[in-house]
Amino acid sequence: MSILLRNIIRFVLLLLLQVFVLNKILVHQLVSLEMYMLFILLLPFNIPRPAVMLLGLLMGLSLDMFMNTMGIHAFACVFMAYLRPFIINILSPQGGFETNMKTPSMISMGVSQFLTYISILVVLHHMALFTLEVFGFGNFGYLLLKIVFSSIASLVLIVLYELLFFSKK
Amino acid sequence: MRNLIIFLRRYFNFFLFLLLEVICIVLVFRNNNFQKTAYLNSANNVSGKLYDRYNNVQYYFHLKATNDSLVSENARLHNLLRSSFDSMLTSNTVVTDTIRLYSDDTLHRVVGTQMRRYLYREAKVINNSVNRPVNYITIHRGRLQGIRPNMGVISPTGVVGMVRSVSDNYAVVLSMLAKSSGSATSNFGVSARLIKGKETGTVYWDGANPGYAIMRDVPRSVKVQKGDTVITSGFSSLFPENVPVGYIDEISVSDKSSTAYSIRIKLATNFYNLQYVYVIDNLLKDEQQQLEDSTYSLTK
Repeated sequence: MSILLRNIIRFVLLLLLQVFVLNKILVHQLVSLEMYMLFILLLPFNIPRPAVMLLGLLMGLSLDMFMNTMGIHAFACVFMAYLRPFIINILSPQGGFETNMKTPSMISMGVSQFLTYISILVVLHHMALFTLEVFGFGNFGYLLLKIVFSSIASLVLIVLYELLFFSKK
Repeated sequence: MRNLIIFLRRYFNFFLFLLLEVICIVLVFRNNNFQKTAYLNSANNVSGKLYDRYNNVQYYFHLKATNDSLVSENARLHNLLRSSFDSMLTSNTVVTDTIRLYSDDTLHRVVGTQMRRYLYREAKVINNSVNRPVNYITIHRGRLQGIRPNMGVISPTGVVGMVRSVSDNYAVVLSMLAKSSGSATSNFGVSARLIKGKETGTVYWDGANPGYAIMRDVPRSVKVQKGDTVITSGFSSLFPENVPVGYIDEISVSDKSSTAYSIRIKLATNFYNLQYVYVIDNLLKDEQQQLEDSTYSLTK
């Protein structure tokens, strides 16, 4: 399957999963399950930076359309997409990842590198998202707890997804 | 000039990032305005239809609870029907939008005629959330069926919210579960009253638990008891009087110098399994609004 087709399918699947499954699951007021940003995290390494940001905007706006939160997810998603290349640069070994594998995964980056990569970006994403959603630092403790718990939940989901779809390769 | 172009090219990514973020922020704040029509929200064609499909499946799992609530509501309404009362005179004149009041004695005289003030339209809930700071409900009823922004919405058991934006066939309802410490325009307080003491206050959701809300502005001189019913006051043009809002669960005083209680109430509406709602059209709303506005402008 070509990289392009694979990413289009992933876009649609993650969007539907987020809207019709994860948003319907009520864990706790502090835990909101977010997994749609995995689409941005799993884009190929060599994709141009403006393209990553525009795709982030597209993904965020599509989700916002369903959730009536116009612009909030788009903001967080673009923020994350902008920072993605920096994090990859920091984590990449000499010569970069591009030479061996095209998509970030546990195999192409190594387990610990990949976990660092997704945790940093997921936490940054959640910080942007919830700060804008709660709007203001009036209830700082609540905001902090929500970021922490939701990040943990998202990371668990993403790791599960990775183990499901990439263990055999 | 050349330097400028080089500068722009060098930091192109950063400027694109700023541009996109500004677009997002503008969208966020534009969305906070009330009374706007739907473009990019769950009332539009794509998402509205998808939610509709999804709801068709999900609806089956709630059939039992939905039936129960509809049956109990039917029973209540049957009790209000004129045919349930024993009347002495049977007149055949049908006056569509008025109701005649008869005196209680044996003469059964006509003592008055009342105009219709509220028109109820039922609507199917096709999407609903409870775990966000500001929650929205999408209903399958829109402009073509007479829904307009700023109409009140109730469920068979109690208050639900108000219509925020409409498209041709769908409408998005701002749920009562909208946290009040957020951006000021999305606050949503329901004007409420204690059924016993008749004191009025405002009910807000505090963002903690979708089953409970806070009632403020009830003076400490009032006797309140756990389990008392809180109903709508009818002051705002959104809801008619006497729609249940909730039941008092816990009474506390925020600090000792405060003159008002902060009362935790259990909401009458179960937001977890909302299936049908009623959209209330207040036919006298414009008149009330005009009168109030002209009075305010006089005092200025």
